[in-house]
Amino acid sequence: MSQISRRQAVALLGALGFGAAAAACAGPGGSTKPAGASGPAAPSAGAVTGKVSFAHWRGEDKAVFDELIKRFAAKHDGVEVAQDISTSNDYNAQALQKLRGGSIGDAFATFRGAQFKNFTEAGIYTELKDSQAVKNYQKGLLSAGQSGDSQLGLPYQVVFPMPMANLDLFDKAGAEIAPKNWDAFLAMCEKLASAGLIPISWPGGDVGNGGQLFNCMIANNAPVDDMCAQIEQGKLKCTDDWFIKMLNQYKDLRPFVQPNATGTAVEPAQNLFSQGKAAMLATGSYHLAAVRGLGAKFPIDLVFPNTTSDGKGKYEGAYNATFILGVNSASKNQAAAAAWIDFLSEPENAGYYANQTAQHVAVDKVEYTNPDLKRLSPWLQKKTALAARFQFNNLDVRNAVEASATAVISGTSPEQAAAAAQKIVDERL
Amino acid sequence: MSIHPGTAAKRKATDSPAPANPAKVRRRSPTRVNPALYLFPLPAVAVVAFFLVMPTLQAFQYAITDWNGFSAAFNYVGLDNFVRAFTKDSLFTNALTNNLKFVLLVVIAQTLFSLVLALLLTKNSRGSILLRALFFFPTILSSVSVAFIWKFIYDPNFGLANSVLRTVGVDGGAYLGNDAQALYWVAVTQVWFHSGQMMVVYIAGLQAIPRELYEAAEMDGANKWQQFKSITWPFVAPATSIVVAYTTVQSFKAFDLILGIAGNPPKASLDILSTRIYSTFANSEFGYAAAQSIIFMAMIALVTWLQRRLLRLTPKGD
Repeated sequence: MSQISRRQAVALLGALGFGAAAAACAGPGGSTKPAGASGPAAPSAGAVTGKVSFAHWRGEDKAVFDELIKRFAAKHDGVEVAQDISTSNDYNAQALQKLRGGSIGDAFATFRGAQFKNFTEAGIYTELKDSQAVKNYQKGLLSAGQSGDSQLGLPYQVVFPMPMANLDLFDKAGAEIAPKNWDAFLAMCEKLASAGLIPISWPGGDVGNGGQLFNCMIANNAPVDDMCAQIEQGKLKCTDDWFIKMLNQYKDLRPFVQPNATGTAVEPAQNLFSQGKAAMLATGSYHLAAVRGLGAKFPIDLVFPNTTSDGKGKYEGAYNATFILGVNSASKNQAAAAAWIDFLSEPENAGYYANQTAQHVAVDKVEYTNPDLKRLSPWLQKKTALAARFQFNNLDVRNAVEASATAVISGTSPEQAAAAAQKIVDERL
Repeated sequence: MSIHPGTAAKRKATDSPAPANPAKVRRRSPTRVNPALYLFPLPAVAVVAFFLVMPTLQAFQYAITDWNGFSAAFNYVGLDNFVRAFTKDSLFTNALTNNLKFVLLVVIAQTLFSLVLALLLTKNSRGSILLRALFFFPTILSSVSVAFIWKFIYDPNFGLANSVLRTVGVDGGAYLGNDAQALYWVAVTQVWFHSGQMMVVYIAGLQAIPRELYEAAEMDGANKWQQFKSITWPFVAPATSIVVAYTTVQSFKAFDLILGIAGNPPKASLDILSTRIYSTFANSEFGYAAAQSIIFMAMIALVTWLQRRLLRLTPKGD
């Protein structure tokens, strides 16, 4: 082997470095197309065998899904389902990158709104329009999983992002559980406060949970149903009168939330409610299991802060259709993944999931045996608005708009808070 | 630039006879070695190229595109992302301001606190060793644990801080819920978390000071302050330089502590550059987030360089 000079060696390394630099300058995303994520073709048919990865964020439901997996495996020889659970924040930030390769999340769930939109644009979903599963859902609850004419996802859960109420405390204070308008709502809060209670436990320090109240507050105030989408598009503004009116109603709530509410995380807020110190928890029905877990024994119902002055609002409540199930278009085991989604969507299995997790489901003909779900079931028939905050596709805009409400609770004037939010919206138009 | 005398001598010996015009003659490398030897660093070069050089270059490339992170389509937008960060994005400039404020607060507080701790606990008595262990203890915790511990301390309803204040009849505050104060409270946590580590650096410096110097100073009638100024400080100045540089970088990157304590996304009063970049990535704006990352990197480099230039704490000759 001939010898080379140091200069030649440096030149060789330089060439290697140049090659690496050139390789780095390939199109973003490497191959530029997610491997196998080819868009909304129907999941391929085939034998229901092999390993299915089920990606989601609900760690609290793991045991329930484990039981359902056992039942599914008993029906299909040689099939195995493994749960790939992330925290909800991580799932929001990383799920798309994890799923696009297809090795994780043969079947998966997404949040309604921005995440569903991103997954749709990335071609991760397969078409479920003609699947067995879709026939089991209540037709009116499927829209959150639709994109154009396609039914890409199946919104599995129905949750009510409205304050939960401790009925015992309401009885004791003689407070009305279904106030007809804003004045009645404030009078109800006043009664609870006079009874020495904190009327509303509100986790203002937790952006995600604190923001759920926004769904109720905006529902009957906004001039259109797609108000948040229109704010993001610049057609409506936070500085509009209707929005300022809503912020003024947040201002009315100042005396009725716990002291220092803007610094309260969700767990302490749940504790205030579970321990009977607060009459309402302003998050939503998705916290039923959590507050029961914290030892709450009292009967629970939901209260809608109706913001109208005459009680003639369009909506009687707010709901959300979420935990949108889908089959990964990059999956190598789509047949088994689709069978798993079909299985979850059968009324019997959906009922088991619902009753064990205290979550309503969008699947039709489900029998609710869980006492909390039974009590809240009438809300499924009421005229409720689809949670508006998930119309925002830009998370910075959503956070800024919701932060205006938090700022008002902490003492900022509605006009100032609205202007600050609108500034962020304008920057992102 | 100085040349090692040995190298110069060797060069002189091998380069004879001297060329007529040395400036015009390209010096040939005298070293010829077996090329197989150059294969040995290749694995390391490959690892560095793959995991460091390529991602860095890619970040620079993404920074000039409008790529959303998963779409095949993207456009080159030149320096638009950089311009946007400073002119059309108040969330970014707010995070930048917060971050600089946070760094300043933490660097001053942590440097002073760890120096005072080190001065008090330099002696190897049993009590000092116990206290050193106590102050060093937070360093071994994970930042997530620290965030949760302090989140509990600051909770206005059930938290330790307000519980203690209530026992003496004082109504506590909202702490992290108060936008005007939130950053200061997180700075307190950061100082608590890392001061023990910096204290150890200072103790190492202090223990290297010969005792005779203090004895001589005492004989000359120097008081404690004069001893500190003339003996202790010159010895611990290099350590201060390290502490300040390390604390600066650490405070710039307090990502996990902020997310742990303030949640994701943190509210605007607690948003710093690293959390803002994370939010931008999560918002499917990869190109813009890459540009923010480059600004972030440049910012750390600039601040570190500036503080090295301004402090000049390393005595000459070191």
